[in-house]
Amino acid sequence: MKEVILDCFGEACPVPLVKAEKAISTLEIGDVLIVQIDHSCAMKNVPEWARAQGYNVEIEEVNDGEWEVFIEKNK
Amino acid sequence: MPREKVVAHYDVVIIGGGAGGLTAGIYCGRARLKTLLIEKSLVGGLATYTNEIENYPGFPEGTTGIGLMKLFESQAKKFGVEFKLTDVKSVDLNGEEKIVETFRNIYKAKVVIIASGGRPRTTGAANEEKYLFDKGISFCATCDAAANTDKTVVVIGSGDAAIEEGMFLAKFAKEVIVSVIHDEGKMDCNEIAKEAALNHPKMKFIWNSVVHAFEGDDHLEKVVLKNIKTDTLIPIDCDTCFEFIGYLPNTEIFKGKIDITKNGYVLVNENKETNVSGVYAVGDVTEKFLKQVATAVGDGAIAGFAAEKYIAESEIFEEQILTQDLTVSYVYNAVDADSRSYLPTVEQFELENNIKVNRIDVYKSTGLADRLGIDNFPSIAFIKDKKVIKIIVGLPEKSELIANM
Repeated sequence: MKEVILDCFGEACPVPLVKAEKAISTLEIGDVLIVQIDHSCAMKNVPEWARAQGYNVEIEEVNDGEWEVFIEKNK
Repeated sequence: MPREKVVAHYDVVIIGGGAGGLTAGIYCGRARLKTLLIEKSLVGGLATYTNEIENYPGFPEGTTGIGLMKLFESQAKKFGVEFKLTDVKSVDLNGEEKIVETFRNIYKAKVVIIASGGRPRTTGAANEEKYLFDKGISFCATCDAAANTDKTVVVIGSGDAAIEEGMFLAKFAKEVIVSVIHDEGKMDCNEIAKEAALNHPKMKFIWNSVVHAFEGDDHLEKVVLKNIKTDTLIPIDCDTCFEFIGYLPNTEIFKGKIDITKNGYVLVNENKETNVSGVYAVGDVTEKFLKQVATAVGDGAIAGFAAEKYIAESEIFEEQILTQDLTVSYVYNAVDADSRSYLPTVEQFELENNIKVNRIDVYKSTGLADRLGIDNFPSIAFIKDKKVIKIIVGLPEKSELIANM
C-alpha cells in the first residue's frame, strides 16, 4: 500500500490524464496515486476518468487553483 | 481492512457545487447554518464548461463560466461554507437526521439540498466507450479546442450548446462537421446562432444523421454517421468528435428515495421541497422549464431560505409544541380578522388555566401546521405525550376549550 505522487503542475489537458493513466497501470491494487494539477480542465477529465474505471477518488484543494487528486486503485 | 469512516454533523449538506448548490450555500452560510458542500470534481458545475456567459445579469461585458463560478465560490466561503471535493456514494433521507456517505466520511445533517446537476448524454453508438475522454470523444470545447488547431472535428447535435461550441471550435479547427438529426435547415438552437453557423465558411452540416459507430486504433480516427432516412453510412475522418446532445440528471443514488420523473429529474414544489421533508433540490437536476445559471441561482436562494425556516421550525416543534405534558396550539392565519380577534380569548384561557398556548401563524409558512397534520385554519390542537390528542376546527367558545383540559 504505497502512495505515488504525480506532479502535473503547469501541464494542460490532456497531459495530466495521459500521465495518470500510465502511472496507475504501474501500481498495485490498494496503492494510491496522487495527481497534482493546476489546470481546471484536468479537474474535469482526471476525476471523471478515474471514477469511470471504478476507483475511489477524493480531491484536496491545496492552494487556490491547485489540487491533489487522490486515486485509490481499489481493483 | 477498510478504514472506519469519520462521522461529522452539519445543519445542511449540499450535494453538488454548481450555480444552484453554491447559491444555496451562500444563503445557508449567511443564515449561520453549519453548511457543507460536497462537489465531485471542479466547483462551478456545468457553467465551467461554457466559455462565455453573456446573459447572467450584472456582467454587461460578459464573463467566463469559470470566472463567474469562482466568484460564487468565494462568496460561499466568505459565509463559512465548508467544501469537500469527492463524490457521494449513498444517502439515507428518511429520518429526521439525514445521512450522506462518501468514500471516507459519513455526514449527518438536518437538511439535504440536492444540486447534483447532470452529465453529458452519450450517443450509445458502437465503440463509443473506447474513445471517451482523451481518446477522441470530448464534451468540452473549451478544454480541447486548442489541441485541434488545423484539424477536422465532428460535432454531434444542433442545440445552443452544440452550435455555439461548434463556432468556438471553428476558431481553431480546419473544418467543423456538424451532424444534425433533423431535415436540412432545421436546428434546435436559437435563430441567431443558426444563421451565423449556416453562413460560417468552416462549418459543414450533415442533415438527417446520427452516429452509427466510432473507429480507430488507439485514438479515434473515424466517425461513421448514418442517414436515418436512407440508412446510408457516411464515414468521416476526424481527430476529435464533440458530443453536445443534452444532459442526463445525476439522480442514480436518489432512486426510490425521493420522487423522480421517468427521465430521472427530481420533482420539487415551488419552495424547492421534494416529497421527503427536509430534502430540497435545485438547478438542472430538477424538473423545470429553463435550465440556466440565472434560474439555478433563484432555486438556490429559495432552498437556502427554506432550509433555514425548516430547521428553525424543527427546533420550535420539538422544544415547545410536541411535549410530554399537555400543551395547546392555536393554529391560525394572521391575515384573517376573525382569527386575530380570537387572540384575547386565547390569552384569557391561558391565564385562567395556567397553561401555555403556542400561537402558530401559518401566513408565511404552513410547516408547523403540516407537522401537526392540520390543514384547516383556524384550529386548536391539544397535545400530550408527544401526540396530538384532539383537534378543534374553528373558533370554539372558551368553555369548549376548558372541557378538553
